[in-house]
Amino acid sequence: MNQTIVSYIEHLTDKQFGFGITVALFFLAVFLLVNVMAIIGGLGTYAERKISADIQMRQGPNRVGPYGILQFLADGVKMIMKEDIIPTQADKLIFTIAPLLCLSGVLASLAVLPISSGFTLSDLNVGIFYLLGVTSLVGVGVFLGGYASNSKWAMLGGMRGASQIISYEVPVTLTILMMVMLAGGLSLNTLISGQTALPHGWYIFHNPFSFIGFFIYFIGALAETNRAPFDLPEAESELVSGYHTEYSGMRFAFFALAEYIEVFVVCAVATALFLGGYKVPFNVGGDGPIGQILQLVIFFSKSFALYYVVIWVRWTLPRLRVDHLMVICWKYLTPIALFNLVGATLWVYLFEGRSIYLILKHFAEAHMVGGGH
Amino acid sequence: MEPSQTANVYLPTFILILMATLMVFGALLVGKFLRPSNPNKLKQMAYECGEDPVGTAWANFNVRFYVIALVFIVFDVEGALMFPVVAVFRKFMEVGSGGAVLMSLLIFIGVLVQGVIYCWKKGDLDWVKSYRSPKELKK
Amino acid sequence: MFLKFLFYISAFLTVFGAISVVVTRNLIHSCVYLLFSLIGVAGLYLTLNAEFIAATQLVVYVGGIVVLLLFAIMLTGGSNLKVLVNKFGLESTPLMGNLKTYIFAALSGLVLAAVLIKILFSSLLKSSTVSNNFFTTVEDVGVKLLTDHILAFELSSVLLLGALVGAAIIARPQRSTEVEE
Repeated sequence: MNQTIVSYIEHLTDKQFGFGITVALFFLAVFLLVNVMAIIGGLGTYAERKISADIQMRQGPNRVGPYGILQFLADGVKMIMKEDIIPTQADKLIFTIAPLLCLSGVLASLAVLPISSGFTLSDLNVGIFYLLGVTSLVGVGVFLGGYASNSKWAMLGGMRGASQIISYEVPVTLTILMMVMLAGGLSLNTLISGQTALPHGWYIFHNPFSFIGFFIYFIGALAETNRAPFDLPEAESELVSGYHTEYSGMRFAFFALAEYIEVFVVCAVATALFLGGYKVPFNVGGDGPIGQILQLVIFFSKSFALYYVVIWVRWTLPRLRVDHLMVICWKYLTPIALFNLVGATLWVYLFEGRSIYLILKHFAEAHMVGGGH
Repeated sequence: MEPSQTANVYLPTFILILMATLMVFGALLVGKFLRPSNPNKLKQMAYECGEDPVGTAWANFNVRFYVIALVFIVFDVEGALMFPVVAVFRKFMEVGSGGAVLMSLLIFIGVLVQGVIYCWKKGDLDWVKSYRSPKELKK
Repeated sequence: MFLKFLFYISAFLTVFGAISVVVTRNLIHSCVYLLFSLIGVAGLYLTLNAEFIAATQLVVYVGGIVVLLLFAIMLTGGSNLKVLVNKFGLESTPLMGNLKTYIFAALSGLVLAAVLIKILFSSLLKSSTVSNNFFTTVEDVGVKLLTDHILAFELSSVLLLGALVGAAIIARPQRSTEVEE
């Protein structure tokens, strides 16, 4: 089983790499992936503005480059050139560390992203558990960002943001537990190999509990990224800008980049867990390079479809009040997630882990055989 | 016994964190040469919608943040304990002792659900505490 | 080769994080250094091939306990304490100069030194290549939890229940209304 992208390349070219070349190849792969993700993050801002314009019946950016597609580059240049203001009452060390923590948490979660069976940077044995741990670094970063600014809006936004992130980790953890049970392992490749490429084999249609679980995971993970309608910690009309009020220029760009990449990671994990991941229909191309590219295309198209849904949800639903946020999490999502977990355990026990499709097929075949003779 | 994965599998994580650090400090360094630097007192004050900031920032902290964090820790440890158990559930089912694992898992979840119900009934999960009379709370 | 490098980095993070926790004056800075120290401990677990424990360390400690500590620091008013200075210009702490403090400190210093010396000498005298032939992947831990240590598994849920109820009771704000007789 392929474990890292370097071992995949070794397998392709039938060579054994020494440590130096391994490190160099890893650096190259990481550099490529981070660049691709940064471009996806930047295009995400552009896509958000265009799609929100579409929903609100206006044009959106269309001046910089054809159809305004270079807008995010212009924004990036603007942010670098802005003056770096550190407020006098701010805590300088933590002011610098907070965006670094957010960005590290999000970038470290890219290491297990299942983009294709060979090109995954590293397929850890504890993949999905590691992902959970690393995304909680973002919560600490949000809190420290709010604290370091030492202003009332920022502190309140930071505390609310951190408590929102940790609250919504509970239903997300419970739903991931359920998917791990269906798959039988923690590594993301195991989770994907338990599904087929055609929709009837996806885990979302495996049993009714995992169907509900998809929505629980989606809502919970969306709330974890502080994204509307759960964006009270950065609410523009209430807390000025929440925990990143006092950040300007490049420091704010790190927070924003971390948020957009995190949304993409959430969509990617949702496709891996529920929508069949990178599996190509009829296994076209096999495991060779062509198959890998097809898997990449399938994976990214599914993730982008979910990303579109995320942006759609943001510009459709109104923002939730903070006590509504907490009530939804603790009194609705957590009991439903617990019920899902118990239900899925019973389903796997009673039906030996078969999905609805397999049970119906078994039933139909048994009936046909019985009726034919 | 051989470990099931060589240590190289953690190399990307480490390189990614390194790259995050390089990005942050590199961009700030590059910006130092590119951007203007005219600090004045007004720019560096905290933003409070145009007024001068009044008082410290340690406003109105409420203990409900702490209670939420406590409840979260309990659920987090519960999740971490359940991960190995659900990962091997199917293997146990193939061998035939699925019922025993099912029972132990249900007992584990059941005990914790009782904790959730307790917190719910006593109002610890409410964000805005409704002021109940002592008679109601003593029930 | 990478394992050695990982060990050095993790050990550096752990030790200097821990020292910084004790030495810094600002309480929130201590918390951030504690975060780095705990990440270093997770790296140390990785050098022992205990990947599940390392991930658990990340999830529970880094993601939960550090946030809890930060909230607790906020709850108790942070570091707005005035620093009293004694006649030597050093920070004066409560009970400084009390005889009981010095006796207790001397005893704990002796115990700590004895433990450290024993560990250091026993590890220096033995051969340095100890093969660690235990590796814990998730499946192994799961099987052990369900067969050998099933009672511990179930009892831990009761322990967590106790922790939850106890924490909820302690953290509940006191009602200032009178108790009905």
